Amino acid sequence: MLEIPRRSQVIAAHRQHGGGVAAVLPVHSPRALLRAFNLLPVEVWGPPKANASLGAAHLQPYVCSIARNALGFLLSGGLDVVNAILVPHTCDTLQGFGSLLLDFVKPRQPVLTLYLPRGDPENAVPFLADELRRLYQKLQVLTGACPDEQELMECIWREEAADRLLAELHRRRAYLPLSLLDFYRLVRSREYLPAEDFCQLARSALEMCSHEPLHRAKPLLLSGILPEPMELLESIELLGGWIAADDLACCGRRCYSAGVSEDPFLRLAESMLSAAPDPLRGCEVRARREYLLQQARDYGAVGIVFYLIKFCEPELFYTPLLRAELQLNGLRVLVLENDLNDGLSQACLTRLQAFLEALD
Amino acid sequence: MNLASAFRYHWNVHLIGPTVLRAVRWREELFSAAPKGWLMEHLAPPLRINPRMHELVSRHYLRGRYAHLRDKVAWVTSGAPSEFLRALGFYVLYPENHAALCGTARRAVELCGYAEDNGYSRDLCSYARTDLGAFLAGVTPVGRLPKPDLLMACTNICQTVLCWYRVLAHYLNIPLIVIDTPFIYEHAEEHALRYVQRQLEAAVPVAERVAGRALDERRLRRITHLSKEACELWMQVLERARHRPAPLSVFDQFLQMAPVVELRGETATVDFYAALLRELDERIAHGVGAVRHEKARLLWDNLPVWYRMRSLAELLGKRGAALVASTYTNAWAELAEWIDPENPFESAARVYLHPILNRGTGDKLKTMQAMIEKYELDGVILHSDRSCKPYSIGQIDQREQLFHACHVPALLLDADHNDERSFSEEQVSTRLEAFLEMLGV
Repeated sequence: MLEIPRRSQVIAAHRQHGGGVAAVLPVHSPRALLRAFNLLPVEVWGPPKANASLGAAHLQPYVCSIARNALGFLLSGGLDVVNAILVPHTCDTLQGFGSLLLDFVKPRQPVLTLYLPRGDPENAVPFLADELRRLYQKLQVLTGACPDEQELMECIWREEAADRLLAELHRRRAYLPLSLLDFYRLVRSREYLPAEDFCQLARSALEMCSHEPLHRAKPLLLSGILPEPMELLESIELLGGWIAADDLACCGRRCYSAGVSEDPFLRLAESMLSAAPDPLRGCEVRARREYLLQQARDYGAVGIVFYLIKFCEPELFYTPLLRAELQLNGLRVLVLENDLNDGLSQACLTRLQAFLEALD
Repeated sequence: MNLASAFRYHWNVHLIGPTVLRAVRWREELFSAAPKGWLMEHLAPPLRINPRMHELVSRHYLRGRYAHLRDKVAWVTSGAPSEFLRALGFYVLYPENHAALCGTARRAVELCGYAEDNGYSRDLCSYARTDLGAFLAGVTPVGRLPKPDLLMACTNICQTVLCWYRVLAHYLNIPLIVIDTPFIYEHAEEHALRYVQRQLEAAVPVAERVAGRALDERRLRRITHLSKEACELWMQVLERARHRPAPLSVFDQFLQMAPVVELRGETATVDFYAALLRELDERIAHGVGAVRHEKARLLWDNLPVWYRMRSLAELLGKRGAALVASTYTNAWAELAEWIDPENPFESAARVYLHPILNRGTGDKLKTMQAMIEKYELDGVILHSDRSCKPYSIGQIDQREQLFHACHVPALLLDADHNDERSFSEEQVSTRLEAFLEMLGV
């Protein structure tokens, strides 16, 4: 069986070797750039069991639980081990979160920001490259290191290799002898494992692939932000379903292609903007629809579950149109909404069960 | 445009419509100094210019009703750089203003309901739901909205508008121009300015294609000049509230801001604000305050509660509390000096990158502190607006800082700018009463 190291073990090991750690908020971040400064990016998606009440002292109740939990986690000392916090500009909420940290909360660790452009790619790529150059300068001041272009390129190549393997895992998931829970533990280890360790783990997993698909349950496409609580995955499997492909912000939407430029900053920008159409980047509805339909066709999904986090406006805007148009294209659609701090409700389970039964 | 269309347009927009609207204005000016039940002992009568403002805005919507006969139509977000669209001859409509109008007319909940019936969550911005509802059901209190040929969304107020306009673009199958303005956490970076300017320049050929004509730079400069003039006059209007008693309240400002938002770049707007200034100066000369017995002067942060303007004005007015300044109305004035008609794109990049909603939470606190000093304020009401996260996130800490570091009492008031279902009358009045007691009024 696969031995997936725990987040705390990985952080401790990296620190033991003299490395630093950067807590990274969702969704898209330049991992290679952080690694070039010997900072291990460790992503913070909430986490689900954080003390949200500490976050509630700064954020209103209508703010999503990812931000409230992240703040609670930070204030309860959960991020004491990190050397910096990177807050990419993912949405209005994380924009406010980053600003709040810089202006009022002022944690011990330096707070770095990164604006992810929503404009047309022709202008967005050079802008993002400039943003990454600005981040490079900030990291230079923070760490005292000054990685040259070659060192930066080596980190980029390592991350590109990990991205390729991650995409391969997603593609061959049906051939892996892993439960849904184990599969997502494996792919989500990309959130904290160094690229080289992830590559090793991914290769070991891919060696286990069978020649025939191993999962014959009802194939679904799962869309949304993240599959928390992870009991959701067990429940889908127990109820006779199988996630054949996903469009989750923390997983499937981050299968990046490698950049093509020789300039490291441009190459990083090209790669970061190559990910799947994403409501958090304000992509066209048509692009989202086509992408989801293509995914469903490629992986034989007969139904799609939108698993939304409460108050996530970008996701909520796109869902009604997508639901209608995917249904027109013959896909069954289920929309579920949850809060990171709630367990998987009985109502959710019942709806899921009814949905899977209807797929018969 | 054929002859029949030209005649129809001219007949309705230049002859019949304006005549009817002028008659309505005259009637309002002659017969209704104050609405029924107006608390004359506590509040000054409504501004005499109100009927003229109604006429100005109604003419704009009237023009919109017949716009398809002559002009191309663009729907744009409230913070978007619309000057070049006007220069290209577009009829420009602001769906957010339309939503606010629906809120004031107490029609927003009904319209939100249509959007919700179509699957749009109640957790979405109520402006978006109001407009999507109006669009999907074809219902609006202004008669009819012109169908757009072009959409333009600028992210300088929120990312929400981008998603909202993506949805509209999909329904309508028309081009969407996105002007993406990187958020300013600390200060605006040069590369961010370049990025915005490049996008503005790239937007021109797209708009030209839809308009079917080339951009006349001289016309753009003239419109930019008028925009600047309107914003400068608007600043002077707001600054009249420095007088004690303040001749206009924030509630007046919320109403009078409509032209600077949706009609900037037009001569009528400049004339309108010049006239408003004259009326305010008259009030100052006669010692007339918007609140008759002004005892405390307050700042309002965030969008208005459109459907409770009058009741809030009365509740505060009875106690002698005058809302005299607002970060929201200030947003259309504070950047006027940066507008440079000789460099319309370069200056637009700087101006449209810097609205208050695109600046950090600490910067907003500094703006509030500066306004407290400038307008000699005694307290702050922070409207925690369920529908506007970018404006509201940070308010809890801003309140703490105002209270503890600046020793200015500040109140956080939970509501929603357009959705009455998120407004608790009892809770709001109880909290306001307690706040006013603390202020000693």
